[in-house]
Amino acid sequence: MISMTRQHAHAARLRRARSAASLLEAFAYLSPSIVLFAVFVFVPLVTTVRLSAFTTDPLGRVSAFVGLAQYARILADPRFVHSIGRTLLFAVFTVPGTLIAGLLLATLGTLRLSKIPLFRMLLSSPLAVSAATASLMFLDMYHPGLGILNYLLGLLHQKPVPWLVNETTALPAVAATTVWLQTGLNTIVLLAGLQDVPQVLHESARIDGAGPVRAYFGITLPLLTPTLFFLLIVDVLAAFQAFTQFHVMTRGGPNGATNVMVYAIYREFYFDGRFGIAAAQSVVLFLIMLAFTLAEFRFFERKVQYA
Amino acid sequence: MRRILVVWACAVLASAALGAEPVRVAFWHSMGGDIGGKAIPKLASDFSASQATYVVEPSYQGSYDDSLNKLKAGLMSKDVPAVVQVYDIGTRLMVDLKVATPVQDFIDQEKYDVSDLEPNVLAYYTVDRKLWSMPFNTSNPILYYNKTMFKAAGLDPERPPRTFAEVTEAARRLTLKDSTGKVTQYGVAFAIYGWFVEQFLAVSGAPYVDNGNGRDARAARAVFNGPEGVKILGWWKSMVDEGIMANYGRATTDTRNAFNAGQVAMIIESTAALRGMMDASRGKFELGTSFLPRPSSKDYRTSGTIIGGASLWILKDRPAAEQRGAWEFVKYLAAAPQQAYWHTMSGYYPIRKAGYNEPLDKEWRAKYPPFQTAIEQLHMAPVSRITSGGLIGVFPSARQIVEGAIEQVLAGRATPQAALDDAAGAVTTAIQDYEASVTK
Amino acid sequence: MSRPPARRRIVTGAWYALLGIVAFVVLFPVLSALTRSLLSDTEISSFPPKLLPFPPHFGSYPRAFAQAPLLRYLLNSAIQSTLVTAGQLLTASCAAFAFAFLRFPGRNVLFLVFLATLMVPWEATIIPNYLLMRALRWTDTFAGLSAPFLGTAFGTFLIRQFMKTLPGELRDAAGIDGCGNARFLLSVALPLSRPALGTLAVYSFLQTWNQYLWPLLVTNNNLMRTVQIGITLLQDEERFMMNTVMAGIMVVLLPTAVLFVLGNRQLIRGLTAGAVKG
Repeated sequence: MISMTRQHAHAARLRRARSAASLLEAFAYLSPSIVLFAVFVFVPLVTTVRLSAFTTDPLGRVSAFVGLAQYARILADPRFVHSIGRTLLFAVFTVPGTLIAGLLLATLGTLRLSKIPLFRMLLSSPLAVSAATASLMFLDMYHPGLGILNYLLGLLHQKPVPWLVNETTALPAVAATTVWLQTGLNTIVLLAGLQDVPQVLHESARIDGAGPVRAYFGITLPLLTPTLFFLLIVDVLAAFQAFTQFHVMTRGGPNGATNVMVYAIYREFYFDGRFGIAAAQSVVLFLIMLAFTLAEFRFFERKVQYA
Repeated sequence: MRRILVVWACAVLASAALGAEPVRVAFWHSMGGDIGGKAIPKLASDFSASQATYVVEPSYQGSYDDSLNKLKAGLMSKDVPAVVQVYDIGTRLMVDLKVATPVQDFIDQEKYDVSDLEPNVLAYYTVDRKLWSMPFNTSNPILYYNKTMFKAAGLDPERPPRTFAEVTEAARRLTLKDSTGKVTQYGVAFAIYGWFVEQFLAVSGAPYVDNGNGRDARAARAVFNGPEGVKILGWWKSMVDEGIMANYGRATTDTRNAFNAGQVAMIIESTAALRGMMDASRGKFELGTSFLPRPSSKDYRTSGTIIGGASLWILKDRPAAEQRGAWEFVKYLAAAPQQAYWHTMSGYYPIRKAGYNEPLDKEWRAKYPPFQTAIEQLHMAPVSRITSGGLIGVFPSARQIVEGAIEQVLAGRATPQAALDDAAGAVTTAIQDYEASVTK
Repeated sequence: MSRPPARRRIVTGAWYALLGIVAFVVLFPVLSALTRSLLSDTEISSFPPKLLPFPPHFGSYPRAFAQAPLLRYLLNSAIQSTLVTAGQLLTASCAAFAFAFLRFPGRNVLFLVFLATLMVPWEATIIPNYLLMRALRWTDTFAGLSAPFLGTAFGTFLIRQFMKTLPGELRDAAGIDGCGNARFLLSVALPLSRPALGTLAVYSFLQTWNQYLWPLLVTNNNLMRTVQIGITLLQDEERFMMNTVMAGIMVVLLPTAVLFVLGNRQLIRGLTAGAVKG
């Protein structure tokens, strides 16, 4: 009995020593990243959280401690609540669109044609374009009077759309730009995912008499779910963090229709130097993003089929 | 003041003793395009070449908003230029930040003669009886109109509309539709720009904030939601509703481009855009300019426009030698020949009367009469609390809030009174927050 | 194939036509910008808009270079992007290796920590980061432009996913041969992970090249500015010539376009090995 316990204890000590050694070794590989994250992500985050409990003077220097009252204040501010709504709506406009567009383009990219590599490249080309560049390009196309889009609509005898100038159309217009931008990445990643579906499964599906459509929905899509899940996470986070398009195209207008949270936060500290309030808003944004990601993991990862 | 004398003496002695190395004077500005790409560098290098002590290095910082933000960020670690161009509405904030050496100090110390400078312009940048910054690029809003379209519509191109009602009337005649009822030419378009509202209020004789527009004492409340403000927004909205006014959004460049492309017959814009507009219209149509329309003719006698543009601030966190250099550069820019050159390159008018007497300026105005319009408008404006412009630290934000109100009204979401009341409330809150954080 | 050759050609032709149309739609914004960059000053501000730039006016291109030091901006962006890409490849492959192959206590927790960084909104960290750069006197330097981005959770995630698809037997076999972790990483795991590394490299370079807000804050000196800031500076307060802006955009797009054309096959081929299957 006693020797067994000692053996256990000895084994346990060995395990702990090996654990410690492996932890140490792992740290060697992880430390560059961890140090960088600590310095540039976590410490600033903590600083921001700290700042969120204070009011600041126009130069951003801390002036008075207000604690959680600041959060109560911003959550009671209808404009901030409105911007939360705008952000969620923006995510709804961009994410499904991006996933579907990426899927369609990637599927087209699996066609067995000799020139298909060229088309794959063309279809995913938005990846090479920056948000600033795309914003300027779309801004030009969206001009209510002179832009090419309304001109083409006119040729088709349709009424011109006010695009960025009208409250109802502005957010979808910026969302369209964002979908265009994000589709590049989505297409490439989905292409890789599609190519990964083993040929043998297609063969056996055909042998079983399944048509291409049924094969697509019954076999291909389920096998794509890990990729789709990855893209869902990435696209939602990107939607919540979008800034450049809003800054270049609409500056939060018209009438706050495109005043998503990131832009609202930027205006808080940019125009009025209300760093404390901006910091509190950033923390709220962070928590929302965290909640969404956790929810996605909880609800969607179950549906993901790892091969 | 004595400190300035001592500091200046030391700087002179030091530079004399050290002899050679010219002092680097960093100059942040927000002038882009040809103005920033050609005129500013030329002015800077001409100044540097005209003497051996200072070298001015201009650097474009983006829009006024971007530049001010960088400045605020730089202030926290003393990484600031010697002289910076800050827009008119940044005046209260710059004074409150306590980061500038008022040019009044330099003026007093060397007994610089300001009698030739335009009183309206001086009044804008004078706070608590001190001139804090040196005016540089000054503008006011004018009406640009397409004379060719006027003729085609049977309107007299030499008699542009002067009142709100006349603008509406002219716009009705100038709006053309095709057979399907689609508008092919709009009579008028205003960019959704808070500055225009500020100007319309001024020419209506209404202040923006209380306490003498913030100049008798620190402003406490926004007051632009009075009958004058309601009238302005009501007029604006009625034209949009009637289909005679186009809406190209907030960016003034979009409205400008539509005008240049012949899609709209009349717009409001700063005189600073004049040079560019003139170049763009050449060969396409005849450009006309006129004064900012007012509610009624009598307003031409009783009120006037506010000056716009920006001024140059000398920052106190730089070594004395650099501040001295900044002052010399600022004086150079304010001198008549440079102001005349600047006028012809842009449309910003000279800040001193001697500028108009420069041969270059006289010739230019004779050749291109539109360059005269803003000057006449300036001289028509009486010096008053209203024409001196509102003075609040949250002006950039207030402007955005007012722009939101305009958008609401145009979208039919709120009546002019309700939208302005909301906006005034929001601006008042912002002012209160600002005051609390600043006057501790 | 049981279909007759003629029918096959028609079907193929139809597919190509569809692809052509879709590609045109996808590329439309870029084509529009290209067209507009080749219009003259009069044409650019006229309506209806000129759809085909014949004859092309190339004057906007020199003007774009004259209004702003575009070449310098391009160089700055290139240096910053290279630094960040190299740094990310280094830190991400080491970290991914640890997550994929090593067993150690707290591995899941640490992975969540990495993941958490993906969710921290940039605006929440930008002010303190900026102040840090100033304190270190790293503004207007490449260090300041690059430092905050040298670590990447996304890249770690990407490479980890890829490494996890490598058969576990590899590690065991190497271990039996007396191969330590470091050697395994360098001689086996990394070479086999080339596709994922290639993907990350192209992606990092593009992302850094396309940055906007950070370079805007960190650089004041016009000679240190990067290319995205440069083209937005072409828009100005008082005059707005779209053809110049579009010309600037074309110039700015060129390097990333070239990189993309050269690198996209690698990207796609690399991802074929199941980088993000999970």
